[in-house]
Amino acid sequence: MTMQLQKDFAGGAASLSERVLPSRAEVAALVALAARTVAPLWPLESAIAVNPLAGYEDLPFETAVARAAQRFGARETLPLAAWRRLLQAGRIDAGALREAAIAVLGGLEAAFSPIGPDLLPLDLLMARLIDLPVAAPEASPALTGAQAFIAKWCAAFLDQGGASSAMPHRDLGLYRAVLALAAHDRDFHRLTGAAGQRLLLSVPRDPFDAIAEAIVEWDLPAGAEVDRLADLVARLPGWAGHIRWRCDHADPADSAGAPATMADLIALWTVLERALPARAQPESAQAESGQPESAQPESGQAGPKSWAAPALAAHFGLAPHTLATLDPAQRARMHGIATMPESALGALYMTAAERGYRDDLVPRLSAAARKAPPAATPAAQLVFCIDVRSEPFRRALEAQGAYETLGYAGFFGLPIARHRHGAAESGAAPRDRLLPVLLAPQHTLHEAPAPGHEAAAHRAQAAAARSAWTGTLFGRAKQGLATAFATAEATGPLAGALMLARTFAPRLASRMAAAITPSADPVTVPDLGGFTLSEKLGYGALLFRLTGLRAETAARLVVLAGHAGGAVNNPYAAALDCGACGGHPGGFNARVLAAMLNDPHVRGGLAAQGLALPETTRFMAAEHNTTTDAVTLFDRDALPASHRAELAALEAALARAGAANRERRAAQLGRSADDLLTGAVHWGEVRPEWGLAGNAAFVVGPRWLTADADLGGRAFLHSYDWRSDPEGQILAMILTAPMVVAQWINCQYLFSTIDNDRYGAGDKTTQNAIGRIGVVQGNGGDLCVGLPRQSLFADHGAAVSGPAGTPWHIPQRLLTVVHAPFDRVEAVIAANPVLMRLFGNAWVHLVVIDPASGKALRRASDAEMLPRAGNENPSPTQEKRP
Amino acid sequence: MTMASNTTLTLHRLKKIEIIVHAEDQRPVEDLLHAAGIGGWTMIRDVAGLGHGGFHQGRSIFNDQTGLVMFVGVADAATIERAARGLARLFETRAGVTFLSEVEVMRSGYFAPGTADGAAPVERI
Repeated sequence: MTMQLQKDFAGGAASLSERVLPSRAEVAALVALAARTVAPLWPLESAIAVNPLAGYEDLPFETAVARAAQRFGARETLPLAAWRRLLQAGRIDAGALREAAIAVLGGLEAAFSPIGPDLLPLDLLMARLIDLPVAAPEASPALTGAQAFIAKWCAAFLDQGGASSAMPHRDLGLYRAVLALAAHDRDFHRLTGAAGQRLLLSVPRDPFDAIAEAIVEWDLPAGAEVDRLADLVARLPGWAGHIRWRCDHADPADSAGAPATMADLIALWTVLERALPARAQPESAQAESGQPESAQPESGQAGPKSWAAPALAAHFGLAPHTLATLDPAQRARMHGIATMPESALGALYMTAAERGYRDDLVPRLSAAARKAPPAATPAAQLVFCIDVRSEPFRRALEAQGAYETLGYAGFFGLPIARHRHGAAESGAAPRDRLLPVLLAPQHTLHEAPAPGHEAAAHRAQAAAARSAWTGTLFGRAKQGLATAFATAEATGPLAGALMLARTFAPRLASRMAAAITPSADPVTVPDLGGFTLSEKLGYGALLFRLTGLRAETAARLVVLAGHAGGAVNNPYAAALDCGACGGHPGGFNARVLAAMLNDPHVRGGLAAQGLALPETTRFMAAEHNTTTDAVTLFDRDALPASHRAELAALEAALARAGAANRERRAAQLGRSADDLLTGAVHWGEVRPEWGLAGNAAFVVGPRWLTADADLGGRAFLHSYDWRSDPEGQILAMILTAPMVVAQWINCQYLFSTIDNDRYGAGDKTTQNAIGRIGVVQGNGGDLCVGLPRQSLFADHGAAVSGPAGTPWHIPQRLLTVVHAPFDRVEAVIAANPVLMRLFGNAWVHLVVIDPASGKALRRASDAEMLPRAGNENPSPTQEKRP
Repeated sequence: MTMASNTTLTLHRLKKIEIIVHAEDQRPVEDLLHAAGIGGWTMIRDVAGLGHGGFHQGRSIFNDQTGLVMFVGVADAATIERAARGLARLFETRAGVTFLSEVEVMRSGYFAPGTADGAAPVERI
């Protein structure tokens, strides 16, 4: 039998008159493509930083930002006024801004060739960048009725136990469950009237079929379907992102009994769209898109802005009639500069921020690369997470003595999930995924009572169960729609007293601090029974191969330090924990790897692989609390007496380093160091720490390359020794995984800053948590997708951050610096499409420092490689002045 | 071997579809095969090979999304055609390849379609 595939089916070029209902498989493909317009959104309890524009990474950065801005009704850049405040505060280099302006004008010659008497293009552009008045940023439009309707039902359907009475028909799936209830919904009736009721009776009950019917009814030109469906997905990006997480990343148990797919969400939108009164369609379509007029693409050649050039001329004291004396070419140049959209001006500021940062950092690393590495034997070696918050702490510790520090992904290469001791009894989530979302867990580890601590473990488990039960009861009553107010009245006096204690005497409630500081001698131990010896060898060896840590010269004490944030009453607490550990504290993973590396069988096996550790080397696990800068060392009883002196000295050094780093961070937060400890346990604290704000670089190389440079807590540091990686496989692993995670973090901070309402989460003080799912602004609407304003902007007069409303985080793209031979890095990039995409499309900038010469080269983006006049023989790397 | 050599082996002619996509598109392909009515398939993770973009390595150790996955499904011709049509839409913007071929199987009932266009839920609620 021969399959008759129509000629047009591959190209989708059928004319309208020939169009038939698309098949469910075709609709499934359209839905999958449309779904990519939003990134998955993790629940806050395991918050993961994700690039909100991840689905646009196939496009060059600038194009992606412009298209997404149009679709989401978002800004393309920070408002110009905010950029100017950063410039005034000295946080953007004025020289770098000038260089960026010269480049965009076409080079030195063009920038300095006069337009008129004493009128240089560069002066004109700089005036627009720095001096000329700018329009106030427009407020985000309120939710439309249709958005509010869908958001309401998403919240009801996707609720994960917050509501005391669950929505009926959830087993039918989101689309059919809402259809079943919409007939009785006053909002639906108000929005759609009789047409809506009629449509409810006739619309297909299968979401794919419903979408197919809408596509035909809308009579879309072939090829326009994906964009149309993506526009619907983008109307509520938070709920759409949550659905993506549920479908692609959640454990099946998380969505059991209540299936919700992107097809469900889109199908709901199609029903509303078709039922909305026809006369309201154009208006509603415009309002639905949330598209402010100013976000329309501005191409710069707009004719109507006839006032722009005279205004610019007036700034330079020139009368309007002077413009008439210019020749047409000069007038056109002047007009081009005068009408350059604010988004383009903002892009110049971002380029300046990136260039200024690069020109400061790279020469310092390049100079270090020319020196011989130090050969001193360290008193102890400590492996920290690559998180940007590790860098200043490492520097502070290194200043305390002969301590060598390394950077490694904070999940320590262990693809594990944890089954907490007594989790089932306490009603906690069945398991925590303690690994980056790029990976699926290969092992689920159980916690077992520590030998000698069985009774204590049992008591801890019972206490956790009690606390969880009470917390659940109180939480359900508090969050339930029907019981919230009654709960407040019934428990108000007690809750009020607790709140007063937490508000006015938070440090008196020192027991609360115990909740965020792990015990140094935990009553449970990870059960490593699920690992074979060869698996333990594999994970153990990875530490040495990825970081360049030399086994034979390892110190007597090697500490593996995971990290955690500390905060109470903070929906974003998980965002301060270790992203590599799935938004959980990293101490557990550190304990697992330390236990493996202290196992004599593992040590024997490693020696057979050429990784012979000294017999005297002992591994210890630790956890660095980035809010308080306290470091807890675990399982100290297991350390032999012979190592106690080193441990005591190290603990003292860690305490001094913590105090020094608290001082440094306190200045950045505009408060006292003691106050940081208070903030960690304070009920009303909105900014316990700056988190990963300021992140700007990802450095792959040995610590001695960066040791002399104060990187200001802005750099992810991954240790790497190019000499032990002749094939580039290790470098490929580092760039395709930890760097990708760093890029997600960087993009989350970048976009949350440039448009905090659309890509971020707005003001923390007006947010409300929705069950375990996320937060909304006010009393409903879309889930917030990014970071709250308080994580990114200063709201006080601290000198380091400028006036209130000045961004603390400067939105700039990640700069990756690799210490390795040029050819090897280029080969790794060529072999990995994800790297070709990120570097080629300029989502990440790359500088490579050659180990032999110390010379630094910047890799050009694909756009820079396009043939231009005067650039006939482009090469993939451009020389960068050292 | 206890089976009598003169036993006639009854074979049924069906279609096979093989699909290779980036791991990040695994889920869309699964949804699409379901929607087409293919009741089951084999998935081979982490395949490697030479393509337009050069040699595709297996996935890197720390990132499951960097590799390629391959699906192998068998069904009647109409079901496979539905899947192929859907894939054609997906591949308008995503990278991937599809091979269709004729196969013979011993148990045709084993490859009976699941919920497909013709068998979509139609009841009203």
